[in-house]
Amino acid sequence: MSRLPGLLALGALVAVVGLALGGLVIAGGEPGLGSSASHIPRLVLVSLAQAGLSTVLSLALGAALALALARRSRFPGRSALIAAMNVATVLPTIVIVFAVVAVYGRAGWLGSGASLIGLDFDTWLYGLPGILIAHVFFNAPLAARIFLAGLSAIGPEQWRLVAHLGLPPAAIFRLVDRPVLVREVPGLAALIFLLCFTSFAIVLALGGGPANSTLEVAIFEALRFEAAFRRAALLAALQIAICLTLLIPIMAFGRRVAEGASTGHQHDRPDRDARMWRIADPAIVLLGGAFIIVPLAAVAANGLSAFASLFDTLVVRALVTSLAIGIPAGALGTVLALALASLSRHLRVGDGRIAAANAVGITSLVILVVSPLALSAGLFVVIRPFTSPLSVAPLLIVVVNALMALPFAYRQVEPPLMLSAERYGRLADSLGIAGVARARLVDWPLLSRPLAVALAVATALSLGDLGVAAFFGSGDLVTLPLLLHRQLGAYRMAEAASVSLLLSLMVLALFVAAQRWTGDGFARAR
Amino acid sequence: MLALAELGVDYGDWRASFDLTVPKGALCALIGPSGGGKTTLLHAIGGFVRPHRGSLNFDGRDLLPLAPAERPLSILFQDHNLFPHLTAGDNIGLALDPSLRLSADQRAAVEAVLARVGLAGLGGRKPGELSGGQRQRVALARALARNRPLMLLDEPFSGLDPGLRRDMLELVDGFRRQDGLTVLMSIHTPVEAAEIADLMVFVDDGRVAAAGAPEAVMAESGNEVLDRYFRRGVVGGGGRHGG
Repeated sequence: MSRLPGLLALGALVAVVGLALGGLVIAGGEPGLGSSASHIPRLVLVSLAQAGLSTVLSLALGAALALALARRSRFPGRSALIAAMNVATVLPTIVIVFAVVAVYGRAGWLGSGASLIGLDFDTWLYGLPGILIAHVFFNAPLAARIFLAGLSAIGPEQWRLVAHLGLPPAAIFRLVDRPVLVREVPGLAALIFLLCFTSFAIVLALGGGPANSTLEVAIFEALRFEAAFRRAALLAALQIAICLTLLIPIMAFGRRVAEGASTGHQHDRPDRDARMWRIADPAIVLLGGAFIIVPLAAVAANGLSAFASLFDTLVVRALVTSLAIGIPAGALGTVLALALASLSRHLRVGDGRIAAANAVGITSLVILVVSPLALSAGLFVVIRPFTSPLSVAPLLIVVVNALMALPFAYRQVEPPLMLSAERYGRLADSLGIAGVARARLVDWPLLSRPLAVALAVATALSLGDLGVAAFFGSGDLVTLPLLLHRQLGAYRMAEAASVSLLLSLMVLALFVAAQRWTGDGFARAR
Repeated sequence: MLALAELGVDYGDWRASFDLTVPKGALCALIGPSGGGKTTLLHAIGGFVRPHRGSLNFDGRDLLPLAPAERPLSILFQDHNLFPHLTAGDNIGLALDPSLRLSADQRAAVEAVLARVGLAGLGGRKPGELSGGQRQRVALARALARNRPLMLLDEPFSGLDPGLRRDMLELVDGFRRQDGLTVLMSIHTPVEAAEIADLMVFVDDGRVAAAGAPEAVMAESGNEVLDRYFRRGVVGGGGRHGG
């Protein structure tokens, strides 16, 4: 592959982000600070606090679950629990909102039970508790998955040594497990914090008002409801500055986070029979498992019982709109990732310019700093003098969604491209395999499966996006998440249940299809 | 004749500089400690690292301007010699056409070379279905199929058990005599190498520290790095306790 596609992708990326940042600067000079500029310091503090709490709780529950699952290598339902954890991490956030309401809300499974004994869950749920429950619901499984992958990678020779030396359970935790967990914490904590700090759908729907807003939601409201351009620019600038600070630890500890589901392949650990763990582990698995599985079950059960309400023109139109945006956005995100990764490989392997290669990789993360709504706000302001941003809304949503998917797609396709060069580059050079033949014979077998996963991730992210679609959406342009958000706002829970299930099934189908995809891959050759 | 003169490669402040002459048709064994520069030397000849200084000639032809695939040589790496998703036959076929669009004649040539390495009829198997020794035979077959006068081997048989390793060394020795190849091979087992090598070269700290007939290099005493490599005069030897 030549470096031209990569340079074009890089140019387009820089142009779009540059335009948006320019738009924010323009907006900063416009009048209209809006009604509640004095709330900004409090807004930042609350955003930081809820993100911090969400991160700590997610890491704690994730570590506890991962350790219990690592020690309990065999129990009925173990693989089902791991599958449920994987599902929880990929559900669209607006579906998670529905799941939380369906369990903890006034009419929910737990909430209705609680109201029988005179407790009102609803007043308690909307606000910080609801935000925390929803954030921990998908971030704790994410943490558990990564911790478990690290713990599973502890080699059998270490366990033989542990058994040989007769280490007590506490020493096993301190000397063997803890270093693995500590190694993963900085990158993982920064990632979860960033996700919660810029959280949109959950905070919008469960925050219960401006008191618990995030900057991301405040940017949305400033522009969409108040036309307060200067305030939106100020908020976006604040958010970009804070995200940039947070991204530094991710870069510094930028080891490749162990991706993907743990195979669940485990050695029998010597501490599995320790008395303290024989009591604690089942309790952790039961409580943690219930916390993850019950909301998923609520989506499935409520959705199935209301399935008939899917046959509605509004739902069908939203489905078509979602697909018409999600598929191009997923494809664009994947193509951008592939072009950038290929450029990065050229620079690293071909030219030996490591710093330039790393810079290309960092560029793919730009959306983590310039958040989707900051980017949307900037583009909105730039486009407004020429045409109504709403008239080109589908295009803008596709572009911003593609950039949202870029970091994840890039992380899928870059390692196999590098691996192919490291492992077979010299061999291919010595045999003169070049150009298309090289892509077909050398790269494709390693790349086909990660590419399918990248496409699935990118499309799923776009299908589940609420923020950008709501920002540019209008009466005519309603995606499934936007429809679901409106149904939730109107307390039409049966319809919301069916749309939640539909969205979940679409996202799951994408992931299952990608996992099944093997192409000519090495997986089959082995 | 292969001739290296002050061929220099730098990695940070580690500087290698190689002077070496290998006669046409000779089998030259490279020995020396890990990290001493054997692989760097082979990769510089193969064109995978770009030397910073010096000259590299084969039969009077300057190799330095040539891309790896254009150089008159084949190379066997220690591992990852084969693409795991391609059959043994296809892996060999890459030597005949790097796009793997093979004519009937070329297919027949693949079969013939498979037979030469003792793998007749196994061309349809993937590397995962072959043993470690068979995989290196396939790689060797591909090197033969390329029909280049110089063959480089970078510790190609160190993963095999001693019996198999000897078989492979004898196979290499036989092919170089039949095809008139010049062979340069890094190896961890000097005694085995000595049985087939014409020339033994001791590489340490990025330079050729000793070179000559195998028996002479292995017997050379007083050379400190060689003594350390062979652990002569360290354990119960005469030097320290004898006087």
